[in-house]
Amino acid sequence: MLRTEEMLLNVGPQHPSTHGVFRLVVKIDGEIIKEAKPVIGYLHRGTEKIAEDLQYTQIIPYTDRMDYLSAMTNNYVICHAVETMMDLEIPERAEYLRVLSMELGRVASHLVWFGTYLLDIGAVSPFLYAFREREAIINLLTELSGARLTFNYMRIGGVKWDAPEGWLDRVREFVPYMREQLQGYHDFVTGNEIFHQRVKGVGTYTRDDAINYSLSGANLRCTGVEWDLRKHESYSIYDRFQFDVITRQEGDALSRYHCRMGEIEESLKIIEQAVEQCPEEGKILAKVPKVVKPPKGEAYVRIESPRGEIGCYIASQGKKEPYRLKFRRPSFYNLQILPKLLEGENMANLITILGGVDIVLGEVDG
Amino acid sequence: MTDNHNNDKSLPEQEGLDPTINQEEAPSENQPHSQAKSPDSNQKSDQNKEMDQTFDQETNNDLKEGNETQQQAPSPENPPNNSELPTQNQPTESDKEKAKKKAAAAAKAKAAAKAKAAEKATSAKAEKTEEEEELPSYNQPLLNKYVEVIKEHLGEDVIEEAYINRLSKHVPTIVTTPEAYYSVAQFLKYNEQLGFDFLSDYHGTDFETHYELYAHLYSLLNHQSIALKVKLDHEHPSIESLAQLWEGANWPECEAYDLLGIEFRNHPSLHRIFLGEEWKGYPLRKDYQPYDEEV
Amino acid sequence: MKGIGKGLAYTLKNMSKKQMTYTYPDEPIPMPDRFRGIQKFYPEKCIVCNQCSNICPTDCIDLTEKKHPDPSVKRKIIDTFDINFEICILCDLCTEVCPTEAIIMTNTFELAEYSRDELFKNLEWLDENEDNTREENKA
Ligand code: SF4
Ligand code: SF4
Repeated sequence: MLRTEEMLLNVGPQHPSTHGVFRLVVKIDGEIIKEAKPVIGYLHRGTEKIAEDLQYTQIIPYTDRMDYLSAMTNNYVICHAVETMMDLEIPERAEYLRVLSMELGRVASHLVWFGTYLLDIGAVSPFLYAFREREAIINLLTELSGARLTFNYMRIGGVKWDAPEGWLDRVREFVPYMREQLQGYHDFVTGNEIFHQRVKGVGTYTRDDAINYSLSGANLRCTGVEWDLRKHESYSIYDRFQFDVITRQEGDALSRYHCRMGEIEESLKIIEQAVEQCPEEGKILAKVPKVVKPPKGEAYVRIESPRGEIGCYIASQGKKEPYRLKFRRPSFYNLQILPKLLEGENMANLITILGGVDIVLGEVDG
Repeated sequence: MTDNHNNDKSLPEQEGLDPTINQEEAPSENQPHSQAKSPDSNQKSDQNKEMDQTFDQETNNDLKEGNETQQQAPSPENPPNNSELPTQNQPTESDKEKAKKKAAAAAKAKAAAKAKAAEKATSAKAEKTEEEEELPSYNQPLLNKYVEVIKEHLGEDVIEEAYINRLSKHVPTIVTTPEAYYSVAQFLKYNEQLGFDFLSDYHGTDFETHYELYAHLYSLLNHQSIALKVKLDHEHPSIESLAQLWEGANWPECEAYDLLGIEFRNHPSLHRIFLGEEWKGYPLRKDYQPYDEEV
Repeated sequence: MKGIGKGLAYTLKNMSKKQMTYTYPDEPIPMPDRFRGIQKFYPEKCIVCNQCSNICPTDCIDLTEKKHPDPSVKRKIIDTFDINFEICILCDLCTEVCPTEAIIMTNTFELAEYSRDELFKNLEWLDENEDNTREENKA
């Protein structure tokens, strides 16, 4: 028997597989992790404090920078919170454009996850393919909003731009293309034996754990909880679309993979229906006062982002700046379970588990 | 694809979705429904008034209030296909369906404003007479139930206040006393009638006179939400930690400790999660002075 | 082994496909018309209403006004106009509020400099920045 002794190892803060600036202090004994302590805050920019001095419209570009992989959902959550408080009526076309852009963003975000996750566990080429498809989405969103990642596209009461000419057709064409590629990914990765050995049965947790740790998104659905805010607490116009909530029972890294890949498919379904239903023309901005002042009071709304439940709490004093703004950032909550998952695991599984949680550090740190 | 398709798909659902339109089109038929939703507390109708006023003034103090130009501004920047222009809302096509649909869309925004104005006028009298007892929200029975069960098991005085937060999708809101906070939370989680097992959001706010903790709980069993709040003393904010109940409350509590200086008793590892232990002061407090004003 | 074989087949199939990469520094990337790049400023259009510097979320616009050289004209004209591109987040809000379109976005996005000071762009620089103005804004 080999004698081993405990050792402290720092993973990160600058390490590509931590997907940002995230440090993990692990105590290892040989190959086995005894204890893991996440250290976060390297990317804390104080968004919530800054927002207290800003008008609501000015906060929207800041939300782009929280979850920079799916900025559209972040844009939406604050608009949705303010609109809920003010009881605003959003024009039809704006709603469709919002849904389209959010779902495209969701596909893009899951593609990044797919690529980087496989890169983490040692498969290089899926990353290149995933980014090829993501580039197509980014191009679509650039045409729509004028920026590649920090869209700043939504406004209180609607969206900034109408869709450019032919944009909806290009989105329509994108769906079958993406379906074909998705099938390619399944051929390419899903059946791969090496991949299965790396992820199957790794990082397993139960349904009760997932709920107890306030996990959301695919991290929750992989344990069999059928819970998707788009379906079960429908906001915007999601109740008009037919789509399924993908769940799995196993709760391991492989099931999370399946959930996310399934969600790409479901998002494509939504996009397809939204393009068909979208009114040809119409207003894209509701009648809102120039200075947005939600009534005195507070509100908390939550929506489904690619990473889980993103929420926004606003305490307003009836002024043009929020008194307190709070984002419920899904990655921040999802990451909490990490120490529990890592305990007793093999060092080589660390990256598999961390990657499987799908964190964006801009969001963890706020 | 086609407009017919659109109409079929969206119109009936719109009606369900959107009470304001219902009210305008068929106020008499829909009386009970619209009433349940309409008065939306006095606060809200004030807000509408304010909105309207802002509109009138806007053109005047446009330049003074150097603020965001929404679509009303005479800015040529808005693309021409942005069909806010009234001319484009005219039914130009002969296709009746289409014209109808467009008119509906155009009327929608107007309807919102008009309906509210009209509603205010008609219900103004009613509101005046029954100012005190505003019409109950659709979540009122739920709230009553929660309050009743809690009071039955934990005593009369654990709840400071219980109301429906109409601004926040009518979520039932309960404010407890700090002493009973933990037991109420525990009760909400484990009582089989309530079963609020999912902690959706947990954060604190500095309201200058007091601190407030806001927890948004959700029951995956019954598909119901509740907001649990507690007011803390401004001098020494300290409260029992919820991390023993929900592991998910662990980091949010660290966050509240870090940014607001609220202390959580019996927390497994309370530390300054973002800023580090050396940081002076609590940034989200309203009286926080940045160390270096300029940077 | 079947899965791996399938994967290899996919890779081989993709080798014959069209190349998707950009040869960026050698060839410029065409950006769509709405792309939000570095602003262009038209001093003669500006009416010094200060809306842009008020809406800017990062407070990176500094402007001053001066009297019109012709004393018979009452209105003020712009004297200096600086944007600090260290902190500008190219959010487009300034161009959105400007009532006279005196400030617009262009498609230029290359901002790398050797010194931070060079990221302060003044009125003249912003006036000359017109290589890539948007189609609709060509004046
Ligand atoms: S683009 Fe945004 S950050 Fe930059 S100057 Fe304009 S308003 Fe300010
Ligand atoms: S908003 Fe336009 S007109 Fe007003 S000061 Fe700025 S650049 Fe000049």
